[in-house]
Amino acid sequence: MAKVRPKKHAPHTDMTAMTDVAFLLLTFFIMTATFKSNDAEITTPSSISQIKVPDDDIMVISIDKEGKVFFGVDAKPVRAAMLENIGQSKGITFTETEKAKFALQSSFGFPLNQLKPWLNMPKDQMPNVKQPGIPVDSTGASELADWVYAARKANSQLRIALKGDNFAKFPVFKDVLSNLQSQNINKFNLITGSEQAPAGFTNE
Amino acid sequence: MAAIEESGGSGKGDGKVRGKKMSTRVDMTPMVDLGFLLITFFMLATTMSKPTSMSLAVPDKTEKVDETEPLKASKVLTLFMGANDDVYYLDGIAADDDKAEASLKTTRYGYDLRSVIFASQKRINAANPKDEKGNEAFVVVIKPTPVSTYKNMVDVLDEMAITKSKRYALVDNLTESEKKLLGDKIEPKN
Repeated sequence: MAKVRPKKHAPHTDMTAMTDVAFLLLTFFIMTATFKSNDAEITTPSSISQIKVPDDDIMVISIDKEGKVFFGVDAKPVRAAMLENIGQSKGITFTETEKAKFALQSSFGFPLNQLKPWLNMPKDQMPNVKQPGIPVDSTGASELADWVYAARKANSQLRIALKGDNFAKFPVFKDVLSNLQSQNINKFNLITGSEQAPAGFTNE
Repeated sequence: MAAIEESGGSGKGDGKVRGKKMSTRVDMTPMVDLGFLLITFFMLATTMSKPTSMSLAVPDKTEKVDETEPLKASKVLTLFMGANDDVYYLDGIAADDDKAEASLKTTRYGYDLRSVIFASQKRINAANPKDEKGNEAFVVVIKPTPVSTYKNMVDVLDEMAITKSKRYALVDNLTESEKKLLGDKIEPKN
């Protein structure tokens, strides 16, 4: 007596639906991706503020936890123009390659006299250099003020955002403030993380 | 992996040799693998929560300010931002007052500070009428010290937003009597 056995089939699942979902998600993530920038490590404090940081026309002054100051502008053409402006006012000429390399840096923290050697380094070594920070002092006429001026000359629409680390000491912030105020910039944004407002808080 | 299909057309038996019908099924597994690999990459590389920003406006230094009446100490809550996330505060009393030292209290950021501000706000606004412009009497003076951090400042400004204290001032110089009052609490420690 031969037993009737069911025919053996290789297990086969229809993957089409899964592919659909996978690629839908993939499309979503590609569209929304804004990449993490490998700038100085800064953990910002959080606030209940709901205002989003603008994406374009923005310059960011960052203060890391050791009190070093970094400066960055969002658009590449503006960065190049800014470098040219500061070169003109300080009597330094930058070559085209230096400008091109500078335009690729989202932020930097070098005193002017150390900028050229850094820009002449091979590309792959540039991120490994420890940046000393832009000199800032309380007189309000330091290199940071020159950079801000050069950037605003390159693009007058630039808004200013300050991004400080949790543990940056107040005096550094005060010095940055006096550099900005010396140029009559009295309104800026403080970049913070977002946090939930306490219970019972209503926005009027 | 693909399933072996039984050859079709065997039952027809009309003698013609036909090309074997190939299955149109494509094995999607590698495609799904690739899809999920890319998804994983993009998920990890993306920053999802966009940072928010607080706007801060500071008074114009070049502008001439008319001499105004000095603030009455009884309407002011003064916050001194100390080291290690301590806040010292004077509620409705000036630093050069004799009783100032006894009334200097310490609190922490967050809920404790909020309660202090709310209590003071309630007390001062109840005791003093609104001024002719309809502003409430309560004023907060925020005094950062060299030992305080940027986080402390953002926290205090955030409390101002939470408690809806519209009138506050960030003053970064301490008077002599305040320095004496705070003493070594604001000395940088190394």
